[in-house]
Amino acid sequence: MAVELTAPTGPVRRVSARHFVRLKLRVMGNNFRGQGWRVALFLGGALLGLWFAGSGFFLFASPGLADTDRYATMVAAFGGGLVVLGWVLLPLIFFGVDETLDPARFALLPLPRRTLVTGLLTAALVSVPAIAVLLALLGLVFTAGVLGGWSAALVALVGVLLGVLLCVAAARAVTSAFASMLRSRRVRDLAAVLLAVAAALLGPLQLIGVSALQDTEWERLDGVSEVIGWTPLGAPWTAGIDLAEGRGWAAPVKLLISALTVLALLAWWSRSLESAMVGTASGGGTRAKGGPAGGAVSQLFPRAVGWARRDQFGALVAREARYWWRDARRRANLITIGVVGIFVPVLVNLGGSGFGTNSGQGFGQGAAEPSPVLVSLSMLFVGVVAAVTLANQFGFDGSAYAANVVAGVRGQQELRARMTAFSIYVVPMLGVVSIVIAVVLGRPGWIGLTAGSLVASYGAGLAVNCFVSILGAYALPETSNPFAMNSGGGVVKSFLTLLAMLVTAVAAVPMVVAAALLGDVWHWLALPVGVAYGLGAALLGAYLAGDVLDRRQPELLATVTPRR
Amino acid sequence: MTDEQTALCLRGLAKRFDGKVAVAGVDLDVPAGSFYGLLGPNGAGKTTTLSMAVGLLRPDAGQARVLGQDVWADPVRAKQLLGVMPDGVRLFDRLSGAELLAYHGLLRGMDPAVVDQRAAELLDVLALTEAGRTLVVDYSAGMKKKIGLACALLHGPRLLVLDEPFEAVDPVSAALIRDILTRYVGSGGTVVFSSHVMEVVERLCSHVAILAEGAIKRVGAIDEVRGKRSLEEVFVEVVGGRTATGEELAWLSN
Repeated sequence: MAVELTAPTGPVRRVSARHFVRLKLRVMGNNFRGQGWRVALFLGGALLGLWFAGSGFFLFASPGLADTDRYATMVAAFGGGLVVLGWVLLPLIFFGVDETLDPARFALLPLPRRTLVTGLLTAALVSVPAIAVLLALLGLVFTAGVLGGWSAALVALVGVLLGVLLCVAAARAVTSAFASMLRSRRVRDLAAVLLAVAAALLGPLQLIGVSALQDTEWERLDGVSEVIGWTPLGAPWTAGIDLAEGRGWAAPVKLLISALTVLALLAWWSRSLESAMVGTASGGGTRAKGGPAGGAVSQLFPRAVGWARRDQFGALVAREARYWWRDARRRANLITIGVVGIFVPVLVNLGGSGFGTNSGQGFGQGAAEPSPVLVSLSMLFVGVVAAVTLANQFGFDGSAYAANVVAGVRGQQELRARMTAFSIYVVPMLGVVSIVIAVVLGRPGWIGLTAGSLVASYGAGLAVNCFVSILGAYALPETSNPFAMNSGGGVVKSFLTLLAMLVTAVAAVPMVVAAALLGDVWHWLALPVGVAYGLGAALLGAYLAGDVLDRRQPELLATVTPRR
Repeated sequence: MTDEQTALCLRGLAKRFDGKVAVAGVDLDVPAGSFYGLLGPNGAGKTTTLSMAVGLLRPDAGQARVLGQDVWADPVRAKQLLGVMPDGVRLFDRLSGAELLAYHGLLRGMDPAVVDQRAAELLDVLALTEAGRTLVVDYSAGMKKKIGLACALLHGPRLLVLDEPFEAVDPVSAALIRDILTRYVGSGGTVVFSSHVMEVVERLCSHVAILAEGAIKRVGAIDEVRGKRSLEEVFVEVVGGRTATGEELAWLSN
């Protein structure tokens, strides 16, 4: 029977931004249903946001509170500029975009792109970070009001609202553009790695920036801040201040710059949105040809695992070792360890001397006496960071972990194999770190000290993270967007990571105490003691946590399986 | 019937998710050497039941035995006898097909030489050899099903539990999978699989169970269950579907 289709009858109601906001709130609400801990996490996140908002407010309001226009432009331009940069870069690197409303879900609905963009933008504004930033930057309105009266405050308010819009639009546009650029898996993997490098370098660069700032005179910054004030980074924030300081003609121009930037970003977003909505349906296609070399078993074992016996343990190690390289998320973590491992100790032990004393000792002249305690502490930090990578090791696998459950792999075996595979990459890196640090410090004799502390804290960290990875596992999203992160996941992640790091640090503190008390003898004892301590801790951890894993295998599988 | 003749025995398996009953006490006896179809509409609890039967999901109550071995009391021995292909579960898909098979084989404690030989044969029969070193993540849906089946078959299990083996599979691959499974049963193996495709079940199975709303509604040899009618009619009647009268959705024909 042929079905004749007619045009839809009845009035079609217009979809407005209000619907998107209500949809988002409903989705968030449903996520909370029956999950007390999620509500608690959300409240925690909200409080944290409020705290940031409060301190930010006082920072931006400080020129007003002090009733001086000396630093007003500088605070607005630099502070506001950093906020914008943070909004653009942080989602790419750390947190991922809140995918509560995933554009792909709207692909089939007959919505004009304009409606979709305004709707998604409005929905994105209803989030803890956006509200926190808005509250913080209202400090600028206060400053402008104190310095220039009502009119200035009004202009500042418009500027701040535009600025927050700009932040959100920029973050969406950039991630959306990236997501569609990163269609093929290979490009995506590569990009994730590059971003990880950039992210890992962010911290060190910031420290270098701070120490550079200490040497710079404030007057020179005035010029810089004025220039920033004319870019989209600073324009929305400085408009009100300009009016207050008597440059009335600048305010409308800056507001115009901000508004045009927002429009341009929205246009860009709306263009990339279309390809993001279509998704990665046609992804893949990179077909590696070439006949298999050797049998299946020899293909599984990478060269670095060639020593392993061809049994269950060997297979687990080989598969993990392959995964640390082939899974972009894991590889990015390895790179972070490398960068953090080199930069943090160097900065703490060389540049760090400037933190304690006054700025007399700059970066180059860090010839201050290196202290064994400080060195051990920084090494401990590196070991802790390296090991905490395993805090959600089962989450990396996701539902694929079912294969091990079905095969009935014993918990101890599983954990020991995972530690071994990870260590194949990390232990050489830690070796390089300890040598480099000892050489940079000009104390080659301290290699034992650096390596010993590193291995001890790394081993203790492996043990701690065995437990964390079993008891505190969470699912990572299996989505096409490499930056996606389930809402709330970021907070859980940081809580768990922090906890694991704290416990590990406590477990490895004896190494620092020994460095402080034992003096020179310790330089020779540190390596053997550290290795014994680390190895012992790791094996004990695997032994104890293995029992827990044996009892909890199906539950663990359920927690790392993403909900769909 | 003794334990030896029952390949899979479920007693009172039950599971709730967030207070909602997913499976409400399933009893099932799968005779050794049978080709057993578990039928049910979407959301009937097929995947939940099979997951509990093979040790992937802990039941709230009840027992599962594989050839007499209790899956939850003595998982290691039961799991040795089992080959499983779960649905909606990823494989370790950043390995190539051959690597994945080697991983599964060694995980099952097999001899490496045997793994090599069987993996090569399986890849060849399933027409996956030409994929070469392509990672499984880049396989098509049908290829993923086939490599999943190969992983489940590799260690020569006595019981094969397959969740939706024919979903998203093209007719050529489906025919291949059917042939392999028929041969496996012919040589004394037992297959339990879930599906909602009546034709496949009618063609392959010696026994069926119809699951709806978390409980077994009909069970037995296929001829007993369907009687003189078609399996589809029985299924729709049991599940409580409605037959169209032509009155509803009138606007469709305007």
